[in-house]
This record gives sequence, structure tokens and C-alpha cells, in this order.
Amino acid sequence: MDPITALLILVCVIVGGLLASLGVHMIPVGGAPAAMGTATGIATGTVQLMFGAALTGLFTASTVATFFETPSPLALVLVALSGAVGAMLMMSFTMLFANMLYVFGAGVVPVSGRVEVDPITKEPQTPYKTPQTDGHGVPNVSYISGWIGAFLGGFGGALMYFVLKNYAFPASLFPELGAVDAEMISAAAAGIAAAGIFVANAILSAYNIGGTIEGFHDPKFKRLPKALISCAVVSALCGLCVIIASWGLMGGGV
Amino acid sequence: MTVPTAPVEEEEKKPEKGWPPTETKLGIIAAVLGIIMTILPFMPSFVKAIGLTFVLVWGADSVRKTSRYGLGTGVPSIGVLAVGYGVIGAIAGMGIAKVGGDFTIGGVEVLNVGVLGGVAIAALIGYISGIFSNSEKFISMKIPGLERGMTELGVAGTLAFLLESSMVAGTLKLDAVLEDVFLSGAIAFMFVMSAIGMFHPFNACLGPDEDRGRTLLLSFEISGLICIILGIVSIALGAEWLGSSSLGLLNAALLILYGIVVWVVFYAKFVRRSFEASYEVVGTGLIKTVK
Amino acid sequence: MPFEILFGLLLLIAFLAFVACFFEDAESDCGSQSNPNSQVQLAAQIGYVHRFFNKAISGEPLSNCMYATTACTVTWVLLRQFEPMFPAEKWKAAILAIPLGVLAGEIFHLIFATTAHLGRTSGQSRFQQPLYLDVFYGHLVPIMTHGFMTTFCITGIAYLQANLGTLSGIPELNHPFPLPLLGFIWGITVGSIGSSTGDIHYGTERIFQDRPFGEGKRVVYHGMITRYADCGIRTQKDIVAFCIKYGCPLTGMTFGMIILFENWRTVLGMLGGGYLTAGSAAGAAAAAIGIVIGLVIGIALILGNLYLVRWARKRYGPFVGE
Repeated sequence: MDPITALLILVCVIVGGLLASLGVHMIPVGGAPAAMGTATGIATGTVQLMFGAALTGLFTASTVATFFETPSPLALVLVALSGAVGAMLMMSFTMLFANMLYVFGAGVVPVSGRVEVDPITKEPQTPYKTPQTDGHGVPNVSYISGWIGAFLGGFGGALMYFVLKNYAFPASLFPELGAVDAEMISAAAAGIAAAGIFVANAILSAYNIGGTIEGFHDPKFKRLPKALISCAVVSALCGLCVIIASWGLMGGGV
Repeated sequence: MTVPTAPVEEEEKKPEKGWPPTETKLGIIAAVLGIIMTILPFMPSFVKAIGLTFVLVWGADSVRKTSRYGLGTGVPSIGVLAVGYGVIGAIAGMGIAKVGGDFTIGGVEVLNVGVLGGVAIAALIGYISGIFSNSEKFISMKIPGLERGMTELGVAGTLAFLLESSMVAGTLKLDAVLEDVFLSGAIAFMFVMSAIGMFHPFNACLGPDEDRGRTLLLSFEISGLICIILGIVSIALGAEWLGSSSLGLLNAALLILYGIVVWVVFYAKFVRRSFEASYEVVGTGLIKTVK
Repeated sequence: MPFEILFGLLLLIAFLAFVACFFEDAESDCGSQSNPNSQVQLAAQIGYVHRFFNKAISGEPLSNCMYATTACTVTWVLLRQFEPMFPAEKWKAAILAIPLGVLAGEIFHLIFATTAHLGRTSGQSRFQQPLYLDVFYGHLVPIMTHGFMTTFCITGIAYLQANLGTLSGIPELNHPFPLPLLGFIWGITVGSIGSSTGDIHYGTERIFQDRPFGEGKRVVYHGMITRYADCGIRTQKDIVAFCIKYGCPLTGMTFGMIILFENWRTVLGMLGGGYLTAGSAAGAAAAAIGIVIGLVIGIALILGNLYLVRWARKRYGPFVGE
């Protein structure tokens, strides 16, 4: 395996991990309190939501990856963007329908608990907030933050998938199987490895924010660099693992 | 996601009849057993399954001791972290095993120490992420023993994947494993069930009266379920054992039998102990009114 | 003809997605799971002994992923056995393989539901929370049947997507992921949508129904769940009857819309870029059109949220009350 490919895998895995971490910091997640309308954000765990969004993106990205027979920079960008848009759509629909449930099912107005005025639409937040809660629903600033966060996370996941599929576990390594099966092995190996790396980074980032965050306007967002350093190191080691696996698969040697 | 409400106080009761062993003792037993079963790929599947069972119990114990203090994101996250590291460590280990470290006698892969490289890398990743998570300068979770817990989880996750792959594919070389385990998609099943096997016991038993011995019984039970499905998968794949397909069928049948026996024994044990430990078991009844 | 069949199959997938997520939410109300379950867990600790079913298997994404992946793995095994019997019409094998596979997944579900309820109840014995056997046994079948619907639809989606090309006559459209991996992906996604959307109706409204409507639930209310039904003592089954009127359909629609628009933009890209006729030469154009359509939908959704929030603020006004 030549060093340039190895470097490409390493760099893309680190970038993917960093984007996953950044995405986790930007999606508005309220965890368990959000399900009771006691905290702003989506009513589930950070990791699960980000993982769900990224996997939706991964599904579309893997479909789009079959459009291209040979890997090229254009293909890489298009596949990663497809994944990003898939994840973004999943998150947008989820946040919008969650808001519909808050507004029509529980009769609460989406407000932020961390800022007094919405930084984007300049709407006042505090008068609309129920006392003794930390906000409820997904206000506009959190919505846009989550939109961008899911886009970045999906981009990272799909980027890792594309690079691992075409460079770490390419279908050409399994010539004795048919073309369809070789393609399937390559996709499955890349998909599971990308999911493993993605979820590890997402979990470390979720620990950094303590499980809940409102978006980029939340004071917790300032903790981002700490998570990015940790995720970069962990992703680099994961990338190294993938390179070792790929090196072994290609018969060793240098 | 359910969030632990408060740090649960540790009230170690006297272990009855040597069960449960202390955390360190269990870790050593499980690691040694798991590694021995992993590096001997020629062993019948149900023997490897014993290793898998102990590895999952060890992982569940590590999840228990780290998430007792409240992680902020619920118990499941740390179990998924373990399999995330585990799948990466396992493919690295099997990649090393593909090029070296194996001893083959008469076409049968007898010993394979190359995979231990992957286990070591997973341990390293787990330890480093534990340091980052606990360090004041970084994520600062301040959970005592998190470094050790994450290291153990990385190793347990990797060993679980290696054992499961070798149970289905009969070998630890990455190309053969990819053709059997990844092409069939059984890897997805392993991914989620290994995670469930590690975090479900503590997640399901969470509460102030949680008892370590009872919690760990669940992990045994889940490993039985994993063995049943993996046995069915290896029958469908027509896996061979010692170069013979009829022996392979016997091997898979024994694995299913092992799974059923383990599941029945430990499920019954868990149900019985839960009934005993409950405040009261009533057929039906009203609730007491709150003043 | 293949295009019509393709579109029909995609609509079928979107419909199955709607049903899947509808029942996913209903199932998480049948046995209390995921985020609102923290209240059921807390209730006993503050003296509110209850007759709810505490089904803390894990977060919804992972538990649904487990049932779907198990179902898809067993389905894959059975398909492998049955498909050689019908060499020309392989889809016939799926008619038996999918329900049997799903049954296996649901047996797992049942086992985990029992262990979770028993474990959580026995872990709370100091709060005098009894283990009601009628609650325990009475909820198992509803949990399993609702779960069966979810897992069946997810397995169906995974099967259709894995064989989309074969079924529609355009072989290159078969998805490259193996069946269990597709089950894994959609299991995680259906669970994360079910828990992030559907939980709100259960957690904010139903479980605190004797608290004022129209406000977020204050921290002091936590754990003080509504334990009495319209008549008698509320059990978990009463929750389903309520949430199925609004929370479940909306949750189902979320997942249905996601799948519909995801497929729609991909297929529209393929048609617009000419991928279906020209092959991989038109791949870049097909991908680009899909991305642009997706971005347009995404921006439309942002505008939709702006409108919704503005409407709610104007209509409901600032917080009144204490």
C-alpha cells in the first residue's frame, strides 16, 4: 500500500472525525428533559440523533457512490455532499415535526433558555419561557444550528465512507468473487468501519457537552476546542487501525 | 435515553458462593479466557463462545463501574463506544493476522497471535480517550477509574468482535472474515448485539437496589442469544471446521445448543432473583395514595 | 415499464416507513421506553408508586436497531435457503422469509422487555414499588405486536432497497449494503426519530396530564406523573390510546417524509441526469441534481420552521400564569 493512499485515508478519517465532533456540538439536543418540555432541543440523546442522521446520509451517499465507477476528487465531493444533504434533511424534518408536536400537541412556544434574544431573528425569548424550565421546543436559532450541524456531520460520515470504500477496502481486492459481491463486501466493510469511527467521535463530543446543548449560541459551545483535540487524536488512531487493516488485506509489505 | 438520576451508592454485599468475583478478578479471568480462545481459531465454536460470554460479562461490568456516576448521556453511549473501538481494533488485528503471526498445521489454522496487535491498539485508543475524557484540560468528566474502564471496554469490544468473527468464519484472516461475516451482513448483528450485551444489563437493572451479581447474569443471557443467531448464520454460510463441512455443521449445532442452554439457565436465574429482590410480587393490586 | 415499477416501489417504501415509525412510537408508549421513562423511573423514588411498564431496554435507536438487525439477519439466512427454490422469481422466497425473520427479532424484543421491567422494578424495591404480575404479563403481547409491525416494515424496506434493481428491472439500482446492514441503518434512524419526535407527546402531555396545558413541565413536577386514568388506575396501555391520536401519526409522517424525499431527490437526480439510460457517465450530473434538490427542500424547511415559530408566538403570546 503506497504512503500517499495511507496519508489520504488518515487525513480523511481525521477530518471526518472532527466534522462529526463539530456536528454534535451544533445540533440542539435536550436529552431526557426535552421530552418533558423542560429543556430546549430535540428530545433524545445526542449520540443517537447524530448517528441516525449520519446513517441516513450514509445510505444516500452509498447509493450515490455507485454512480461512479472510478474514484475522483469530484466523486468524493459529490458523495460527501449527498451524505451531508441526507443527514441535513433527516434532522430538518425531525426538528420541524418535533416543533409541531410542541406547538400543537403540548401548546408550548419554542423558546431558547440560554439566550434572552434569538441571535438570528432577534425575537425576545425570556417572556415566552415557562418559569423553572430551561426553555422548550426548537427555536429558530437552534433550528439553523442543527441544520448546519447535521450537514457537517453527514459530510464527515460520507467522506469517511467514500475514502474507506475506495482506498482502504476497494472492491478490486476480492477478484475471486463476482463483481456484485466484491462491491458489497467493500461497501459493508467501509460502512461499518465509518460507523464505528463516527460513533466513537460523536460519543466523546457528547461527553464534552454533558449530553445537552442548544446550538452554537450556547455557552457550552465554547468547550468545542477541547473535544476537537481529543477527537483528532482518537480519529488519528482509528485511521491508523484502518490503514493497518488495509495494509494486511493488501498482503503486507511497503 | 434514560438518564441515571443520581450516583448510586456502592453497597457491596457479601458475595455468595464466590459470585460475583471482584471487578479486578473478573477482568483478569475474562481477559485471559478471551485471549486464549481468540488466538486458537481451530477450537470448536462453543468453546470460543465461553470466551465470548466472559468477555461480554467483563464489558458489562466495566460499563457498570463507569456509568454508575452518571455520564450525562445515558448508559448506552459507553457500550456503543466499546463496540466502536472494538470493530476498528478487530479489523486492524485481523489485518495483521492476515500477513503474519499464524501457525498452520495441515491446512488448519492452529494459533494466531497477530490479532493481539489489534487488541493492543484498541486498548491504547481506549486508554487515550479515557485520559482525554477525564483530564481537567479536556473533557473533564471526573469519573474515577474512567481510564481503566475505557481501556477495558476497548479490549472487551475487540475481543468480542474477534471471537464472534472466528465463531462464524472459523478463521481470523481478514479476507476470509470479510467474505463470510461482512458479505452476509452478520457484522451489523454483531455490532449491535455486542453493544447491547455490554450496556443492557446495567441499563435494565438501574436503580438504588441494583445488585452486581444480578446485573451480570443478564450479560450471560444475552451472550446465549448471540450464540444462537450466530450458529444459525454459520449453518447458512456452510462454514467448515477442520476442513470438513459435516464437522462444521456439528460445530454450529453445538454452538446453538450452548446458546440455548446458557440462555435458559441464566434467564431463569435472573427472573427468579428479580422476583426475590422485588419489594413485593402481587398478582394485581391498587397503588397506595400519596398524601 | 421499469420506471413506473421503480416509482411504485419507492412509494411503497415511503408508505412502509410511515407505518414503521407510527408503530415505533406506539410501541415505545406500550412499554415506557426512552426519555420520558426517566419520569416513570423517578416516580417510584418520590413515593408515586405506579402501574406503568418500565421497559428500559436501551435508548429507542439501539433497541429498534437490535430488533431490525436480528430480523434482517434471520431473514437473510432464510432467503438464502428459500431463494434456490424459485430461481426465476426470487421474490417469492421473501413472502415466508420476512415474517419468520421478524418473528425471531420480536422474540428477542420480548425477552429484553421482560428483563428490563424485572430489572428496573427489582432495582427499586426500597421505594416499595411492587411487581404487578398483571401489568407485567398484560403488556408483553401489545409490546410484541406493535414491535412486530415496526420491525416488519423496516425489514420490508431493507429487503426492497436491497433488491430494488432486481424487482424493478434496472439491476444497477440494487443497494450495495447487505440486508442486515440496511436493517441496522433504518433501525437506528427509525428509533432516533421515534424518540425525538414521538416522545414529546408522551412526555410533555400525557404523562403530566393533570398539570396545566400550554407550558413546559417545570422541574418541580418531575416524577409526579399522572397515575390515574379516566376510570381507575392508569396503566401503560392507556398511554397508547392517547398518543396514537396525534403523536404517533406525526412521528410516522416524519420518517415517511424523510424516506420519501430522500428517495425522491435521488431518483429525480437519476432521471434528470440521465443516469438510468446513460450509466455512470452521467453519474456526476445525477448526484449534483439530487444535492441541489435536497438543499432546496432543506431551505424550505427552515422557512417552514420560521413561520411555525412566528405563528405560535403570535397566537399563544408570552407566558401567562405563575
